Amino acid sequence: MRRSPLKSALLYGSVIGSLAVILFPVYWLFVTALSTTFELSGLPPSFWPENPQWWIFGKVWSERPIPRWLTNSAIAAIGSVVLSMFVSVLAGYALSRFRVRGGHSLGLFILTAKMLPATLLVIPLFALFSRLGMLGSLWTLIFAHSTLIIPFTTWMLKGYFDTIPRELEQAAMVDGCSPLGAMLRVILPVSAPGLAATALYAFVLSWADYAYARTFLVNAQSNWTANLGIATMRGEYTTDWNEISAAAVFVAIPIILIYLFLERYLVGGLTAGSEK
Amino acid sequence: MSVRIDGDPGGAGSTTRIRLFDLARPSRQHILGYILLAPAVLMVILIIAYPLFISFDLSLQDVKLPRIGETRKPFTFKNYQKLFNSSEFWMTCWVTVKLVSAVTAGSVIIGVSTALLVNHRFRGRTVARIAMALPWAVPEVIAVVIFAWIFDSSFGLMSWLFIKLGLTDQMIAWVSTPGPAFWALTVTMVWKGFPFVSIMTLAGLQSIPPDYYAAARVDGANALQRFRWITIPCLMPVLGVTLVLVMLWVFRDFSIIKVLTEGGPLKTTQTLSIMTYDQAFGFFKFGYASAVGIVTLVICVLASLAMIGRQSRAMY
Repeated sequence: MRRSPLKSALLYGSVIGSLAVILFPVYWLFVTALSTTFELSGLPPSFWPENPQWWIFGKVWSERPIPRWLTNSAIAAIGSVVLSMFVSVLAGYALSRFRVRGGHSLGLFILTAKMLPATLLVIPLFALFSRLGMLGSLWTLIFAHSTLIIPFTTWMLKGYFDTIPRELEQAAMVDGCSPLGAMLRVILPVSAPGLAATALYAFVLSWADYAYARTFLVNAQSNWTANLGIATMRGEYTTDWNEISAAAVFVAIPIILIYLFLERYLVGGLTAGSEK
Repeated sequence: MSVRIDGDPGGAGSTTRIRLFDLARPSRQHILGYILLAPAVLMVILIIAYPLFISFDLSLQDVKLPRIGETRKPFTFKNYQKLFNSSEFWMTCWVTVKLVSAVTAGSVIIGVSTALLVNHRFRGRTVARIAMALPWAVPEVIAVVIFAWIFDSSFGLMSWLFIKLGLTDQMIAWVSTPGPAFWALTVTMVWKGFPFVSIMTLAGLQSIPPDYYAAARVDGANALQRFRWITIPCLMPVLGVTLVLVMLWVFRDFSIIKVLTEGGPLKTTQTLSIMTYDQAFGFFKFGYASAVGIVTLVICVLASLAMIGRQSRAMY
């Protein structure tokens, strides 16, 4: 079916119009970073700075501990992804393939865990970590982020393994693989896209955290994550909007890049198991 | 490694040895299941169940700053009594309900309409889809930085826009005035929350078989009728789950509210989640804070069970 010219103009018009509104805040972040303080303290606002100050990114990178914040965020994210993937690949596979007694109630419990408010868990975790003398260490984040991640990844992976035919393992076992071998050598390689999507989703979850970092690391400046650093910059007495925006760009870019390149995988992971 | 099959017709009875831990035997495979589940069970107990138990236990004690291993304070319902008698708690509940409804309504309306829009076939559709859901990829704290500047009281864009449109004649101190603070927060959360609805709806739209539409066309249904009688009913299951997930997200959110308004001004943007945190780490009343947190959790679980009911399996 072909659309009439009027209809297609209307369609393109509304797509472009809504994209403009939706993406404006992101554009505004860049413009703010590139504007001088003088330009920012005047109205009407300028929608593109006269002399974009590209050097602001270099200035913020060297004057603020951005590289350190990003490294800390990356360590916490990679650590919690590794930990939760290890746990949930095994669990997801078991829940998908074996009839395990208590499997259903474990499932229900994990479902409930998805509803746990982070602000509730943060209280006992704080007490625990302080008892163990771990406050201020990035390990606290690796464990705490796993509380957020494992419930999601386990069910995402279970859903993914459900889509892989059992005949694959059976064939491998006929050919002499042990059940564990069949899982490691046949099923995991076949599930690579699902594993990648899940791991990336987990990475994004960990990178986004602010509540745990703020609570466990507040007195350990050298271990601050990117979000904690940025939020603290916003709380300073005089907020230099161009500097904080430039810093924010650095923090947002890794996730935006992951999203742009791997949109298909991420969206696949997000919707996995929630349809039907 | 060779696998011996029991009851192998070629083998005599004496050769079918039963190895106790031969996990390849179908009757033993569930053991492997338990082994694979063990790390998850251990982790869940260690980092979720045990802390949850501590919270519950704390909520029944009169404690300020607890130390694990200290002798337990006497059992008391004081925290819950104080909670249900405090007007702050009820006001916080009301703020939470308002915020959850406003953000969910906004996210669903914008999310579903953008999904319907990019579900059309047109050139550049893939790019439009990716761009439409981009806010999903912006970390919450960064989203707050952007909107805090847009809603800035001295040089913010939003006030300027309102003045231009003739809605007001002076700059609005969005974040520090009770009413506007709520709306500034709502706008920020909707911007961050609608892409999820959009992504889920799009997935739902694409799972509708095209034959349905073709058949309806043959029967002479117009575009509106096709939307009403095919699109909406087919989307409902996905939308139901999405709705609950968005509500839970708003209900539990910490970072956006904390960084944008800190629950203020005058606690008009303080949700239960923020109240829990502030009672613990602002006033160091861990027992009381735990009580707020437990009540929040109970509301979360009850509300989502009531809303999804039988469909709750779909959330897995």
